[in-house]
Amino acid sequence: MHAMAMSPGPPHTAEEVLDLFEQGKLSPAEAFSLFRRLHQTGKVPAVHVPAAAAPRAKAREEDDEAERRRRLQEAEAELMSLIGLDPVKRLVKEIQAYIAIQQRRSAERLVSEPLVLHMIFKGNPGTGKTTVARILGRMFKEMGVLPKGHLVECERADLVGEYIGHTAQRTREHIKKALGGILFIDEAYSLARGGEKDFGKEAIDTLVKAMEDHKDQLIAILAGYQREMEHFLSTNPGLRSRFPIHIDFPDYSADELLQIAHLMLRKREYRLSAAARAKLAALLRTEAGKADPNFGNARLVRNIIERAIRRQAVRLVRKARISRDELMLIEEVDLGEVSAG
Amino acid sequence: MKRCIVLGKANVGKSLFVLSFAEYLGVQKVSVTIEEPGRHGQSRTVSVRDAMAQWVSDTPHQTRALHAVQLELPVGKGVKRFELVDTSGLSEGIPRETAIRRAMAQTLAAVREADLVLHIVDASAAAQEGAVEAIGEVDFQVAHFAQMKGGYLILANKMDLPTAKEGLERIRQEFAGHPVIPVSARTKDGFREVKRYVWRWI
Ligand SMILES: Nc1nc2c(ncn2[C@@H]2O[C@H](COP(=O)(O)OP(=O)(O)O)[C@@H](O)[C@H]2O)c(=O)[nH]1
Ligand SMILES: [Mg+2]
Repeated sequence: MHAMAMSPGPPHTAEEVLDLFEQGKLSPAEAFSLFRRLHQTGKVPAVHVPAAAAPRAKAREEDDEAERRRRLQEAEAELMSLIGLDPVKRLVKEIQAYIAIQQRRSAERLVSEPLVLHMIFKGNPGTGKTTVARILGRMFKEMGVLPKGHLVECERADLVGEYIGHTAQRTREHIKKALGGILFIDEAYSLARGGEKDFGKEAIDTLVKAMEDHKDQLIAILAGYQREMEHFLSTNPGLRSRFPIHIDFPDYSADELLQIAHLMLRKREYRLSAAARAKLAALLRTEAGKADPNFGNARLVRNIIERAIRRQAVRLVRKARISRDELMLIEEVDLGEVSAG
Repeated sequence: MKRCIVLGKANVGKSLFVLSFAEYLGVQKVSVTIEEPGRHGQSRTVSVRDAMAQWVSDTPHQTRALHAVQLELPVGKGVKRFELVDTSGLSEGIPRETAIRRAMAQTLAAVREADLVLHIVDASAAAQEGAVEAIGEVDFQVAHFAQMKGGYLILANKMDLPTAKEGLERIRQEFAGHPVIPVSARTKDGFREVKRYVWRWI
């Protein structure tokens, strides 16, 4: 009998991914997904540095401008297509308008406010902070605010070193990678964990200095749980003024979670039976009501869906004949004893 | 030399696109390096027409090696050389045959190293209801990964066919936020835009 393939331990390099693939242990989709994760966590060296744009002929400028506008619209459309996040979308619109007006004022030689776009993102895991940061990077690039607009993600472990000076050096490395784009520091408050003596402070100081030195080259975003971020800022008053934009990422409502679930299923070419739909709705209502700060919200939906897909596979694999429709259908039993894990 | 990888599921028109694009750039004969898994690349020169007869086919997984076609584009006073690489088709599931897995692994590795990824999807098949074969998880994962890497373009191919319009809509929806250019590898529609995009990346 074909049992489900056991998932192997997580590979650490692209070569390991390719090996697993050759052995028939991964599908191409899974291999790409692993590539992406390796790329994101920086466990494999970033493969691509776009070459500086070649000098362009005058005639192309208009084309470029149209292209730029189109890409900006695309990024905006992607932001708008994210489910929920209404306050975030509103604030982004405001920021965008503000930038446009300051640019116009400066073109008219009116006094314009300096654009300080460093931000604080507050919210639980899985509420879309990284996704929004990535889209903002693209938008800022097309608006001419940032030259590249890419996102470099890091956290305490990436920045803090083992001896004096090491932290500054590691932090500078990440800043260098982020130049031209956004440096996104997750769970930023953990940098203040050990108080004065801790190397975390060295990382913060290095960051603040880089923000001054590379004013037009870098936007920093500090992200993390609401309460911890508030505390972090109140104990570092100097930081608050340097990060003028604060965005709250609310948890998704049960309804929004259900929309997310449907979207995920549709992308994977699955659909729910009526009974499964009702069960999932009920499940998400109880979960959303729990107000557990670790209830990583969209991530929870993903877990539920992925588990249901595996259960459906186990249910079907023993059958002699399976119709195309059955392959797509998630039944109530597949949602089984799903837990929040 | 910059490397531009053409990938996508079987039968979406990768091979025809590569050769047709070469023809569009004004070459009748192409120099192709055939890179089989685990072996040194073999170069040869063939006419585009012969290559089409040989490589474009209705049977999936025809291309078991990477076919790197050497091309050039005018840049300023000179030319910029680049490689356009035809690959073996990606599948949704895990291929049973070892040789196909090896060929596909080669494609995966090539994507990681590519300067530009042209991801072809079949627009004429994309609108058929529940078309798992047309666009599926592997396409989304490619989009996700390649976009992060930078230099990524989706080509909605076979726009000359009647069902392609609707398919294009669906592709635009499903891949919202990614650049999509409608093309026909058969009629060369849309190639101007592709050329402009490629030009920018090499
Ligand atoms: N009508 C139409 N057919 C196409 C187009 N591109 C490819 N095809 C056909 O689709 C089939 C598969 O093409 P091929 O290039 O071998 O696909 P590959 O497997 O992706 O390399 C062949 O029969 C081609 O003639 C197109 O733009 N329009
Ligand atoms: Mg082919």
